[in-house]
Amino acid sequence: MISLQEENELIDRILAGKQEPYARLVENYQRFAFTIALKILNNRPEAEEATQDAFIKAFHYLKNFNRKARFSTWLYRIVFNTAVSYKRKNRTILSSIEYHDKSDETEQSLEKNDKQAFVLKAMDKLNEADRLAIQLYYIKEFSMDEVAELMGQNMNTLKVRIHRARQRLADELKKMLKEEALTL
Amino acid sequence: MEKIPTATDDRLLDYLDGKLEGAALQQLKKELESSSPLQARLETLRAVHRALAHAKLESPSPAFVNRVMQNLSSVSFPSAWSPQNGLLLLVGVMVSAGILVVMISAGIFDQVQGVVSLEQVSPVKKYFQQSLPVISINGKLIINIIVGLNLVLAFLVLDKTVLKPFFQRRAGAHL
Repeated sequence: MISLQEENELIDRILAGKQEPYARLVENYQRFAFTIALKILNNRPEAEEATQDAFIKAFHYLKNFNRKARFSTWLYRIVFNTAVSYKRKNRTILSSIEYHDKSDETEQSLEKNDKQAFVLKAMDKLNEADRLAIQLYYIKEFSMDEVAELMGQNMNTLKVRIHRARQRLADELKKMLKEEALTL
Repeated sequence: MEKIPTATDDRLLDYLDGKLEGAALQQLKKELESSSPLQARLETLRAVHRALAHAKLESPSPAFVNRVMQNLSSVSFPSAWSPQNGLLLLVGVMVSAGILVVMISAGIFDQVQGVVSLEQVSPVKKYFQQSLPVISINGKLIINIIVGLNLVLAFLVLDKTVLKPFFQRRAGAHL
């Protein structure tokens, strides 16, 4: 990870017309940005393309970054918006891929851990915003502030959203375990 | 089985997140000891918590940074100050300035004159005991100032949308 001071120096050099320092920023934030895009798009090649677009946009609009917030927060917001617009554009194509990917994943996990697999399956029943909020919340590298900021919500709304999503998952899990017990 | 209230669910989730402390934590522990439905609910929520806690950061392909860097210059983003928008705004500003100049030279604003006496403005008079000045208003002067401001705006638009991009392109071509 790079320090805030180093980050500001890199930004200054980029704004002075140099391109090379941007590689350091991309290297530092690529995993965070890619994870956000992947959680939204559920498709690795698509997520990689969206992340790449977001980094290029951030580079071109860097002069508009006012430094009141952290660079990461500003970047994640760009990644979020880019991935959401990708999702809107390719909604129909993605939905079929998404379903296929998840069913494979769930099949494999079922053998590993029933409860975990049931929870992952229950995630499908959540709406997109709840699913994204809960997925990002559980990635320890993202703070609650960052998740709230990138999703354009205030902290309390996000907290309630995450609580309700987990309650819903718990209800679904209970239902699934009950159904499974009946079939045995 | 009785339904657990949402507020209790919230406390259980705070407990799992490690955000419950002090008296609230002791109270919940006490309730948990005496309520098996509450214990069962905690276990279900814990199973959800554990299932999700495996989330980790994902990595893009190894060549990702190089690809981004290669594409930095090849992609350009349209600015809101595109030459087309800028020229349209410039024409608009020039037309309105031209109309005002024609109206001034036709003497339309020559008669727009008046005076405002601050003595008549009661809130002002309340705070000042001395006699207040009389302000004369000259319509022609005001319109002249507006035309001047329009021309400054026109120059700024011309600079931002046409001149600056032109000279930047020329400088880039020489690199």
